[in-house]
Amino acid sequence: MAARRRVAITGIGIVSPLGQSLAAFHAALEAGRSGIARLPEALAARTGVQVAASIDWTPPMAPGEAANLDRVAQFALVSAGQALEASGLELQAADRERIGVYWGTGMGGASTLETAYERVYGKNDWRARPLTVVMAMNNAAGSGIALKHGLRGPFANFSTACSSSAMALGEAMRTIAAGRADAIVAGGAEALLLPASLAAWFALRTLAPADAADPAASCKPFDKRRAGLVLGEGAAAFVLEDEALARARGARIHAYLTGYGNTCDATHISRPDRQGQVRAIREALGEAGLSAEAIGYINAHGTATAVGDVVEAEAIREVFGDAPVPVSSTKSMHGHLLGGAGALELAAALLALERGIIPPTAHLEAPDPACPIRHVPQRAERIPAPAAVMSNSFAFGGSNVVLVAERD
Amino acid sequence: MSTLDRIKDLAAKEFSIDPAGLDPAAPLDKLGIDSLSFIEFMFKIEEEFGVSVSDEDLRSIKTFADLERHIGAALAAAGKS
Repeated sequence: MAARRRVAITGIGIVSPLGQSLAAFHAALEAGRSGIARLPEALAARTGVQVAASIDWTPPMAPGEAANLDRVAQFALVSAGQALEASGLELQAADRERIGVYWGTGMGGASTLETAYERVYGKNDWRARPLTVVMAMNNAAGSGIALKHGLRGPFANFSTACSSSAMALGEAMRTIAAGRADAIVAGGAEALLLPASLAAWFALRTLAPADAADPAASCKPFDKRRAGLVLGEGAAAFVLEDEALARARGARIHAYLTGYGNTCDATHISRPDRQGQVRAIREALGEAGLSAEAIGYINAHGTATAVGDVVEAEAIREVFGDAPVPVSSTKSMHGHLLGGAGALELAAALLALERGIIPPTAHLEAPDPACPIRHVPQRAERIPAPAAVMSNSFAFGGSNVVLVAERD
Repeated sequence: MSTLDRIKDLAAKEFSIDPAGLDPAAPLDKLGIDSLSFIEFMFKIEEEFGVSVSDEDLRSIKTFADLERHIGAALAAAGKS
């Protein structure tokens, strides 16, 4: 059996409530700036959802192209385009049968579906747009990336709620490591800040209301005052590449994706389970061949729900003991991108890995004693750039995904 | 505006083609219009003209001239022409 290949990250693209490039995203994280704001009054009044991290979006593409892509696919295509451009991969000259797409999304083309349903139920007009199926299907965003760039290698689409894009990255890493592809565009996207989706989320009683004094501070992970998660939207894409090929072409290597853990709680459809999370963290460390001490920063799943933050803190304590590994939840700034969260948060973790800047848990003023971890409250911290970082993604359905990235 | 001109206008928007240079007798596939794109276009045509074209008729439409003929007939049948 051939030796396992090391997998380099050679390009990153971001479409987020904190900006539409990696540089803008990192600058906002460093500044501790929140992209959370009040939803329009009419939408908030009908759905009950008061705040979200939304994107002021004008698709940077021809109107004809945008018209045939759901918002989620537009985000995906733009982030993937940025990542490919940043990677410097010359696709025309590359063997594109060896380059694939692994994508993640929770709800897929939610906007397309809501539009069709609105027509049918709202207007009693039973003629749906013919492109409804191919725009709404969960694999439309990933397929759009493959189509746009002629990427004919392995393709996969993951839909495991909040771990979808982290799973896409982990599986892509293993596919390249096993020699089954040279490079993969991997990541995820979500775009469901829509009336019916918001109403459904509101019904779960897990969303934070607007902070009365400062709506931007509505999401408070690990804080005693936390009141739930805040939904976001956007996409993050990575170009993952066989290290040897990346080096041969002189690519800039951000980091290496070396560890991936994937477990299922199989205990409850929504309540997280510490043991499932611990097993995922240990699997990721094991694959990377690292001890817990090697991890210099953890980007927590940290959604700011009452139960979720405590269970995650307990899982981190169980693996890391009293080791003071800094932990933060950047969802306090960019909201919860659901299927896009894992990829966006790996990009956040790379700010610590590449530049020694730990993004904070914004608005964390009164840490919950039930979450006894080493917090990075309110402001970014500078540390000597660590050797490795971790990003956690724990999803409804009991899916736990943990990623580990390393420097050279 | 004639039925053909209205169809050409919609086609120009949908497929980013120049309505002036559009040959009504040219096969749709030669114009780069695949079946899925055409079905999406027909949805808009039906809305524009307030008519419906059956699956059977749709299959027989190979050119914009064919389309004009079917729409014209549907309009006449509906007393709209």
